[in-house]
Amino acid sequence: MHRIDCPWCGLRDEIEFAYRGDATVRRPPADAGIDAFYEYVYLRDNPRGWHVEWWHHAAGCRQWIKVVRHTTTHAIHATAKADEDMQVPRS
Amino acid sequence: MPASAPEPLSALHGVAAPGRHAVGGEAPLTLRERRPSLAMLLARKARARDVAAAVQRRFGLALPAPGRAAAAQDASAIWTQPDGWLLSADGAAARDFAGAVKSAVGDAGSVVDQTHGKAVLLLTGAPARRVLATGCRIDLHPRVFAPGRSAVTQIAHIDCILRQVDAAPGYELIVPSSLAEAFYGWLTHAASAYGYEVLAPA
Ligand SMILES: [Zn+2]
Repeated sequence: MHRIDCPWCGLRDEIEFAYRGDATVRRPPADAGIDAFYEYVYLRDNPRGWHVEWWHHAAGCRQWIKVVRHTTTHAIHATAKADEDMQVPRS
Repeated sequence: MPASAPEPLSALHGVAAPGRHAVGGEAPLTLRERRPSLAMLLARKARARDVAAAVQRRFGLALPAPGRAAAAQDASAIWTQPDGWLLSADGAAARDFAGAVKSAVGDAGSVVDQTHGKAVLLLTGAPARRVLATGCRIDLHPRVFAPGRSAVTQIAHIDCILRQVDAAPGYELIVPSSLAEAFYGWLTHAASAYGYEVLAPA
């Protein structure tokens, strides 16, 4: 069980959230071509280590937030609002 | 929005029947259904300041910050999301309340009448915190949660807006009306360990 520090609501249990994937993916320009859009829609890295993720506080404030989580230890380094940039720790 | 909303009806009608369910002698908890008018208010993009000023002017109510509730003479509000609040009113102010909120905020905010969408229960008494702890994940210890605080969360797997109203402690529990009966079943089961009295709706 994670405890996630929602920037709006404070520390809440994971059960109130829905995981919504990699938060570093950027939409390519409209004329980027089919391969770029294929990658954007379907392909994701599967890193071992720190990962910047979207979590949706579905049972709370309904906001999408960013969470920096370690994919092997499940440690949470930081959380932030959706429009903030997140720094990933070195190790 | 219709000019005048229908009279508030209760999803708990015939469910929350007044009566005493005490273990022995005095019931340390009271449970009362409340029937305010409810309106969800969302500020439109970059209009939160206008919405707050309009609500202050019309109802004398300062819209609360995240995790907080506020009350004035004719209306009260609970923060539910960024630039979003659940407003409530009782008595004369409850009449066409959503319409009154909409006419106050104009094009700065969107208003949805929730009077029939939610049920409101007031749980009061010394064991209330322990009762809620059997289904609520919020830390309600007075060190961190006191009158004036609120939370949008789930209790017993049901979406719930929680507000502490006094230090008795008393908690207002606002749940979707379609799940009100299930929630009432859970709440009375949890309260039965201490004994409770159901009061007539007010
Ligand atoms: Zn939240």
